[in-house]
Amino acid sequence: MGEVVLACEGLKKRYGDLWVLKGIDFEIERGQTKVIIGPSGSGKSTFLRLMGLLEPPTEGKIYFEGKDVYNSGLDLNMLRAKIGFVFQEPSLFRHLTALGNVKLGPKVVLKMKDDEAERKAMEALKTVKLEEWAHHYPAQLSGGQQQRVGIARALAMDPDIILFDEPTASLDIELTWEVIDVMKDLARRGVTMLVVTHELGFAKEVADEILFMDDGRIIESGPPEELLKNPKTPRAREFLRRLIGGV
Amino acid sequence: MKTAAPLDPISFIISFVTEYYPFIIEGFLTTVEMTFLGLAGGFVLGILSALGDVYGTRLMKVIIAGYVEFFRGSPLIVQLLFFYFSIPALTGLNWDAFTAGAVTLMLNSGAYQKGYFKGAIEAVFKDQLMAAKSLGMTFRQTLRHVVLPQALRIVIPPWTNEYISLGLSTSALIVLGIRELTNISKSIAAQTFRPLEVYLFASAIYFIWITVSMRIFDWIYEKVKIPGLEVSM
Repeated sequence: MGEVVLACEGLKKRYGDLWVLKGIDFEIERGQTKVIIGPSGSGKSTFLRLMGLLEPPTEGKIYFEGKDVYNSGLDLNMLRAKIGFVFQEPSLFRHLTALGNVKLGPKVVLKMKDDEAERKAMEALKTVKLEEWAHHYPAQLSGGQQQRVGIARALAMDPDIILFDEPTASLDIELTWEVIDVMKDLARRGVTMLVVTHELGFAKEVADEILFMDDGRIIESGPPEELLKNPKTPRAREFLRRLIGGV
Repeated sequence: MKTAAPLDPISFIISFVTEYYPFIIEGFLTTVEMTFLGLAGGFVLGILSALGDVYGTRLMKVIIAGYVEFFRGSPLIVQLLFFYFSIPALTGLNWDAFTAGAVTLMLNSGAYQKGYFKGAIEAVFKDQLMAAKSLGMTFRQTLRHVVLPQALRIVIPPWTNEYISLGLSTSALIVLGIRELTNISKSIAAQTFRPLEVYLFASAIYFIWITVSMRIFDWIYEKVKIPGLEVSM
């Protein structure tokens, strides 16, 4: 058993009168890839934003490397720097080139020297196969390329884990593949990943575990072959039938 | 100018310019100086109130709204008279027309610039702020490295309009007796009894100054432009 990187206990989130997360226990070990699936509105993205420390929980605890994030006086920004996040929309800084986007975090947050940050950024761009596009601005890149820059931006911080929030949901099918390929490659290299996606091929190939979320809870989890072939809960069975049948 | 035979307009302009050019230059420089003082002060006030309005507390937003409404909702001339005469009356502090005029222009321009900056800051989409947060950037770092570099580029075209507007509005300083271009022209017209030529000439100076300035701002905008960042406001 490896070291637990990120975990939560009794995690709940409320917006106004609406409980979006109704109590989640979760943990992920170093080197693991876990995939979250579930119908829209089930709280997947909210769960991910909470785990990325982008929003505080209403109730419950989040642990980063065993430390209670919100109750031990830790600097949240320093923790966020260790948790990479890839958004559904690429969310690139539009005034910076691909290289500038990837370099900004190492330079400003990790206080690296300019040439050091640049080397780090080029290395990350190489990993996502975009080194020739380093000097292009976001508007000059395709959606898939932009998303890969987003992945490189997270990678360049040397994070302990990267969270992906439906990174291919707004991409055409061919562009989806190039992003998924990069993600598979990262998973094989041992990057710890928590991914919300409906790309079941990705889940089948690289996930250690699939979590099925519905109505603010994780209602079923298990290794891909088990959960995808023999879902135990009726909700998961119905969701998978629709997802596979609908494609 | 005391000769009996009236000169044709062109010869008259040449003759009055040769006679009065030190005053015309003084007037023009005062106009330019006042414009730059107003714009510079307004720039600082405008950015700060825009940031306060977008990110600040409710109290800050109310104060900023009051400030902006006051300066955008009353004539510049009234503001000039109000500040020049009421500040000494209220505080006992005596200030000269030049200072009163410069401060009023700063406050007035700041109120307009706030609107432009607010639009530009809000044009930097929330998803980028979230991305900056996910990298562990502080609010300050996000402002400096993400929001302002984009907002300051986006703001150039509307800001150019404020430059033109304020530059031409400096003629209102005549009510405080400040010797800017309009005031000087009025004196020359009164002395020469040739308002047509004098005011035509003054208008030409304003026109050339504004046109050249606009070209310069267009050039700067093109120079710092980034593909995909041409946000129209």
